[in-house]
Amino acid sequence: MSTPLVFDPTTLPSDDNVNAYTFCVELKGSQWFLQKGKMIAYYGRIDFNGIGHGRLDRLLRTSFHSPLHASDWVVAEGSGKMLLADRAFDVNSFDLDDGNLTIRAGNLLAYQPTLALKQSIVPGFLTLIGTGKFVAASNGPVVFMEPPVRVDPQALVGWADCPSPCHHYDHGYMTGVMGGVRALTGIGGASGEEHQFEFVGAGTVLLQSSEVLMPEQATGVVGSEPGVPSGHAPAGGPGQHGSAPRLPGQLGDLQRRFGL
Amino acid sequence: MPFREINSKMVEATVTPGQKMFSQRGAMLAYRGDVSFTPNITGGQGGLASMIGRRVANEATPLMTVEGNGTVMFGHGGHHIQVVQLTGDTLYVEADRLLAFDGTLHQGTMFMGSQGGVMGMVRGQVTGQGLFTTTLGGHGAVAVMAHGGVIELPITPGRPVHVDPQAYVAHHGDVRNKLSTALGWRDMVGRGSGEAFQLELSGSGAVYVQASEEKL
Repeated sequence: MSTPLVFDPTTLPSDDNVNAYTFCVELKGSQWFLQKGKMIAYYGRIDFNGIGHGRLDRLLRTSFHSPLHASDWVVAEGSGKMLLADRAFDVNSFDLDDGNLTIRAGNLLAYQPTLALKQSIVPGFLTLIGTGKFVAASNGPVVFMEPPVRVDPQALVGWADCPSPCHHYDHGYMTGVMGGVRALTGIGGASGEEHQFEFVGAGTVLLQSSEVLMPEQATGVVGSEPGVPSGHAPAGGPGQHGSAPRLPGQLGDLQRRFGL
Repeated sequence: MPFREINSKMVEATVTPGQKMFSQRGAMLAYRGDVSFTPNITGGQGGLASMIGRRVANEATPLMTVEGNGTVMFGHGGHHIQVVQLTGDTLYVEADRLLAFDGTLHQGTMFMGSQGGVMGMVRGQVTGQGLFTTTLGGHGAVAVMAHGGVIELPITPGRPVHVDPQAYVAHHGDVRNKLSTALGWRDMVGRGSGEAFQLELSGSGAVYVQASEEKL
């Protein structure tokens, strides 16, 4: 039986995990961006400023390019140590070295202002560009995979250096005579694995170990203009399920009503 | 060995042509190669009779057949996963705890009453297994889900293992189990220890216990 470890400001790690669920950030007069409500404790003198105020404008111009969800983020500034956690999800930090990484908006907890945060073209995702450290949460440890790989939409955390993912549909079992009967009547249900994200090319795909999604975090709405994908409703992004295309000969949502 | 544990909540399975695998629907996280996932109407192996048996026994969990050539990652609901290797003996497990298993294993349904009569049925009620449970026999690997981590407790002759019925996950081997009660007058007046019922497993084999009393 081990006794609980007691930490004080000197023994807390600097910019490292305290345990699998908590991350400690050390601030020495520097700044960090963090999502609202993810700080659980801090030592020292740290100011938390909601962004959108005048004196942070310069910082925002260089490292925050997603103006419409600025209200979900705060800037921590000062000196001390700050603990970050998110509902007992696994928390990990990642270093980017002049790189780029796209991550599901709900999974990103905090990042250094040396990185620039931008909205991804893929709705519901954010892209970090530059050099620095960021902290992300996931359900279960993150697994890194090399393309080519096809990933369940709910298990995808993000990807680095990859071309954007595309949708992949498997309907093999819905074709043919038996498949037709299945599609028409819903007998047999669906496998729930008809739709994946497919990654090809060079890069790394980040995967969480379960299909439990972080709550969708609004990434802000992009202005609706021609040529901008999903320039309207932010809901119904790639994380949504059951969006298999309608097949010919399918009676409405009958199969969904009967099967799964 | 077809299952490789990537971390405590994720396993990687290798699928080769001509080799089938069953998994719970929606439990695939990612895959490489050319793999197809087909929903399985009968909920596992056997024909129509097996399906009806499983439906009646309420052990019909939505399964899919995984076939093709490649590797598949499985994980579900953030539950911990334990891979059990079967070498000719039988694993007793609830169908909804099955994440994935080899197609070479023989799947069956067992009536709890057949192990210990009425006490077996009572045991099924207490452990949340119901009146029926699923058996998997033969040679192959099974990935079982549990809430919290899983501990494997070996059972050797003469050294029975007592398990909280709610923490029980599965067992395999030549094991007899019975529900032992420690009901006393304290339980009657509502001052019990909360541990009045225990599952006593004896024989030779192993029992898997989860580090939580929460059901899946």
